[in-house]
Amino acid sequence: MKTTVSNPSGWKSLITFTVLLLAWLSGFSSRLFAVIRFESIIHEFDPWFNYRATAYMVQHGFYQFLNWFDERAWYPLGRIVGGTVYPGLMITSGGIHYVLHALNIPVHIRDICVFLAPVFSGLTAISTYLLTKELWSAGAGLFAACFIAIVPGYISRSVAGSYDNEGIAIFALQYTYYLWVKSVKTGSIFWSCLTALSYFYMVSAWGGYVFIINLIPLHVFVLLLMGRYSNRLFTSYTTFYILGLLFSMQIPFVGFQPIRTSEHMAASGVFALVLVVAVLKYMQSVLSKAEFKYFFTFAAVAAAAFVFLTVVILTYLGFIAPWSGRFYSLWDTGYAKIHIPIIASVSEHQPTTWFSFFFDLHILVTTFPVGLWYCIKDINDERVFVVLYAISAVYFAGVMVRLMLTLTPVVCMLAGVAFSRLFELFLKEEDGPAAAAAANAGDSDSDTEASGDHKSRNMYDKAGKLRKMKHEQQRDNEGLGMNIRTIVIVAVMMMLMMFAVHCTWVTSNSYSSPSIVLASYGQDGSRQILDDFREAYHWLSHNTDSDARVMSWWDYGYQIAGMANRTTLVDNNTWNNSHIALVGKAMSSKEEDAYKIMVSLDVDYVLVIFGGVIGYSGDDINKFLWMVRIAEGEHPKDIHESDYFSERGEFRVDAEGSQTLLNCLMYKLCYYRFGELKLDYRSPAGFDRVRNVIIGNKNFDLKYLEEAYTTEHWLVRIYRVKKESEFNRPRIPVADRSVRIADLTSKKARQRKKGSIKSKPTVVKGRKPAAKL
Amino acid sequence: MKTRHLFQFLVLLINLSAKVFAISLESISADVVLKNVDRSIDISSQIAKISHKITLENVGKKEVSSFLFAIDKLFEEKVAFLGGQPGSNLKVYRVKNQEHPDKQFWRIDLKEPLQQGKTTLVEIELVLSNALTAYPTKITQKEKQLVRFSGNHYLYSPYQVSKQTTTVNIGTRNVESYSKLSPVSQSDSVFNYGPYTQISPFSEDRMSIHYENNSPFLSVTSLVRTIEVSHWGNIAIEETIDLLHTGAQLKGPFSRYEYQREVQSGVSSVKAFKTILPAAASNVYYRDEIGNISTSHMRIMSDSVELDLRPRFPLFGGWKAHYILGYNVPSYEYLYNSGDYYKLKMRIVDHVFDDMIIDEAVTKIILPEGSDKITLTTPYPIERLPDSFHYTYLDTKGKPVVSIKLKNLVEHHIQDFEINYVFPRLLMFQEPILVATALYLLFLLVVVYVRLDFSITKDEQKENRMKISVLCDKVLEYHDKRAVTYTAFESCLAKLKQTKDVNSFMAATKIVNQDYKNECNHINELALKMKSDAPEMADKVMDLQKMDKCLREVYTYQQSLYVDRMVPGKISRGQFTDAENNLNKRKEDSIDKINAIIRSLH
Repeated sequence: MKTTVSNPSGWKSLITFTVLLLAWLSGFSSRLFAVIRFESIIHEFDPWFNYRATAYMVQHGFYQFLNWFDERAWYPLGRIVGGTVYPGLMITSGGIHYVLHALNIPVHIRDICVFLAPVFSGLTAISTYLLTKELWSAGAGLFAACFIAIVPGYISRSVAGSYDNEGIAIFALQYTYYLWVKSVKTGSIFWSCLTALSYFYMVSAWGGYVFIINLIPLHVFVLLLMGRYSNRLFTSYTTFYILGLLFSMQIPFVGFQPIRTSEHMAASGVFALVLVVAVLKYMQSVLSKAEFKYFFTFAAVAAAAFVFLTVVILTYLGFIAPWSGRFYSLWDTGYAKIHIPIIASVSEHQPTTWFSFFFDLHILVTTFPVGLWYCIKDINDERVFVVLYAISAVYFAGVMVRLMLTLTPVVCMLAGVAFSRLFELFLKEEDGPAAAAAANAGDSDSDTEASGDHKSRNMYDKAGKLRKMKHEQQRDNEGLGMNIRTIVIVAVMMMLMMFAVHCTWVTSNSYSSPSIVLASYGQDGSRQILDDFREAYHWLSHNTDSDARVMSWWDYGYQIAGMANRTTLVDNNTWNNSHIALVGKAMSSKEEDAYKIMVSLDVDYVLVIFGGVIGYSGDDINKFLWMVRIAEGEHPKDIHESDYFSERGEFRVDAEGSQTLLNCLMYKLCYYRFGELKLDYRSPAGFDRVRNVIIGNKNFDLKYLEEAYTTEHWLVRIYRVKKESEFNRPRIPVADRSVRIADLTSKKARQRKKGSIKSKPTVVKGRKPAAKL
Repeated sequence: MKTRHLFQFLVLLINLSAKVFAISLESISADVVLKNVDRSIDISSQIAKISHKITLENVGKKEVSSFLFAIDKLFEEKVAFLGGQPGSNLKVYRVKNQEHPDKQFWRIDLKEPLQQGKTTLVEIELVLSNALTAYPTKITQKEKQLVRFSGNHYLYSPYQVSKQTTTVNIGTRNVESYSKLSPVSQSDSVFNYGPYTQISPFSEDRMSIHYENNSPFLSVTSLVRTIEVSHWGNIAIEETIDLLHTGAQLKGPFSRYEYQREVQSGVSSVKAFKTILPAAASNVYYRDEIGNISTSHMRIMSDSVELDLRPRFPLFGGWKAHYILGYNVPSYEYLYNSGDYYKLKMRIVDHVFDDMIIDEAVTKIILPEGSDKITLTTPYPIERLPDSFHYTYLDTKGKPVVSIKLKNLVEHHIQDFEINYVFPRLLMFQEPILVATALYLLFLLVVVYVRLDFSITKDEQKENRMKISVLCDKVLEYHDKRAVTYTAFESCLAKLKQTKDVNSFMAATKIVNQDYKNECNHINELALKMKSDAPEMADKVMDLQKMDKCLREVYTYQQSLYVDRMVPGKISRGQFTDAENNLNKRKEDSIDKINAIIRSLH
């Protein structure tokens, strides 16, 4: 009898559902390390801006957000936030917030922001499943979904609290690719419209949409080269391109870029090419062979020349912007170091090391070439796509650590394919011989059978049994013995287990630190929380004027704006290099020169990060050379990087360091009164724990600034910039002071009368009379 | 400072005018004489606590049931609390006097009327907030905090005072200056003024003490206390607190080095304070808008929970901080009911730190959804804000919120309010039912959705395929049944082989054969049906039938072998086994073929 229980498709969907649900759950929960160890808090730097923008949108509404001019950033320039951000992230969490509050579920927007990325990781797993299923099989899809749920390369960007564009963008990326593959497969306008819509979401969420708009045309182009043109391809690409172009231009930040910058030109070129090919195909059906040959050569040459000339002329005339600096740095890894130090100064823009490939992907990095090989061996339209995806992503991941993120999904997919093939080979066989035995020996297989109906056991093979072995035995695998199979299966299982252990370990140790709360462990294992950043930001927010301007290096701009709600000069949105260079110049000049810059920028407070007391290595002194370099780029006359090195060409802060370094503002702000501090009984006064030296310049005083606040572990130091009147006031020695007598005579009378006045003020040139003070 | 006082005064005036009907007019009775007044002023902390021991004498003819207590001009805006000793249950009322409309009076009811010529002792506590002013108003980090207290050497009284003494406790020996109205003496940290005799009503003489006071000068500028009652057994309390250090302001830089190395540096700053919560408090959190404040400790005592709270940074003069403190208490300790009538009895404000001053507090009491007939009683007058609604999980019409506003509070105001309301018990089930209904509707929606066809075109091919696959499934089903008949047949044969009972065998196989024929017919019918839609499938089914016929023949053969030759014993053992093996081989062949066909039918 057949019931729903014995229905294999029912089982299949139940297994699929269960696996995906578990992948979602485990992906979600392995991202919660930071929340459990610390608290539900926004991490790092960029997320603080996203959070602030989201909170603004939730408070003021979407249209206010689009028109938001943030006067608290980039003082005195300000920043048009609505036009310079990808709003997808804010809209997503704002939408969730809206829905929940409409249902009277009072979840704070911060919690939504914190948990958004882990929730979306589950959606990423599902879209990866769908994509892999389209490319290979459902089994490979399930593997891929499980891999992507826990792989560290993706977790690094999507732990709870890391509220950044990438968290939702990878989902959008995978989903767009899924829909694209689906539309290429079916050639239906419906699916390509959905692709365009999903692409629209991706454009609104992340600048990485450029990857899509180059990869899909590349796919189409390669398919054309391989002679795989079809009407399905024509329909899906033309629909996707036109709709996607229009949609992407709706995002204020993107605007006219899709038709004006070189990064997007490949897509339009391929669009033209597809049209030409379509016309030719049509012509082919109309014209005779000889005519067509003639026509073909002419049309091909004409079209190529036309497209090329158009692009060149438009670029020359300035309608199409040339490649941007970031884009160049993708092709030439040395480019940024020479031309744009601000890009090179970010650690995540460095080239990837071999170590980090293994660290982020573990066994997947070794198995994904296998999957790639299978795809190439068994090529079809959509597998061309995944091959291109894999090759380009490997290249980009090699150039920048940050782009490891785009590699991770394709690695998961191909590794899924590899593992699924492997298990198919080694696991499915167990079924085969058993079933064969069942077929020819009616009585020998009673224990291999499932608990089916007993009546038919001896005699006749059951249909239910037979159905299971539908698509096997194509290959002859007689050579694989039971032992080999068992060994291989166990070994692979062990590897997968190690993979899961590795993923959890990496997540827990490397990617789960909020970085604004630090934890140190004592010798007895007790945990000590170092909460200096929030201490300083909270102090700023409650004990300074609400319009006070805080100068700091750009890394801390978003945090100051987000946590302290104070005006900053530069922040992590590094759009104005010269402004950053000015701050860098102030930090690397002498105090009096820096004071002039600070006064011209209306600075009230200066904030520096100093790790010398607790040994926090990411402090401002270690970043200082980048400040000098960036400042030198804009002010080559005033700042010279070589001045900051000792005679031997070393960057050091002890007595052998260069005098320029030991007297610059950054040095003084970091080490003010540090020379007196003894950290413990053994070490001498002024011992810097990060650089392990005794500082070179110990006894100095600040003239133009005063210490306003220093946190408990000296990690954040805030200085107040004095007003001119506070240090420029001429001082009269006590002995010379005399009591002022009210001047009873009028000024007129005094001018006419002659005589002597007691304690007549002596006029100092250029100063106000002392008596009037 | 001044503006705040002015503001407070204005607010006080508004309050006064609002409650003018509540303030009755009282006249000063000439019958009362204060025989002895013993004042002790404690200004060792940030608040001034003045306790009076007043011996009253009735020199008139009528009995006296109450008397008036006047407030010094200097203190008028600073009075935070006036009343008896804790537990004495003294009744005090704000009153006005026609002869002295500019002065503030309180009427104090005696416990029992004072008879003519008798004396009685009344103890009155007066607590002044903000009565101490820092002088100098700005100090550097190294300096100590000096404050000045201004008062009156005499009791400001509408009655004649026969004799009075005053002791002032300043808690330190470091005194800059003090006013000397002899007889006065200083011993350790205590000043003794008096005794002074025969003082006429409303006499004034400025007392001024300038001394060192490094105790925390901390006031809560705003407190919002939210009490959310749940009938599921929990009361959640959350306090949002704004702190301000009201002592001498910090002048010049703050040096962390000195603060860490030198004991004397920053003595007047507040590093930490202690908050005492109810003993049953659990799930305590201490946070602000940017997250958890990690510097706190909790100690569970037998009768309370002590929290050692450290703000994120030490508070110097003029520095502000802000935090949120929340905890849960079980409702059985505070919520009483009889039937549908409930009474909640909780503190209006709770302890924040010792000798606290709260400038302004708002207490919100959120009652369960559906509560009705709410009445509030408080131990002292409050300003009640308009009621509102609060919406949270699964609320439909909102929870009623009772809000009250209070000003200038000290520890003496930590007293219970009572709120009575009616809550129908059945409403408890509203929320579970709501969830169940929502889930039910969701599933219903899914069920309906799955069953509806939203495609705009009909896919003929697909439908056809579906039809055929249904037919195929049916064929397989019948085939399965047929297989069962074979099994039955086989077992009959086995039985026959043992028992050699032909008759019973024949009887048994009759039914089996009938079944078999039925199934065969079914399959034939289906094959006919299929022929029009999918001829190749139908061919396969016909093949299946053909193979089946072969198999059947084998069985018939076997039956004849058994019945005609084995049972009568016409065949030798060797021949029989040979024949049987032969038959089995043929059987297997046809079974294999049948299986191959079935596989292709899927």
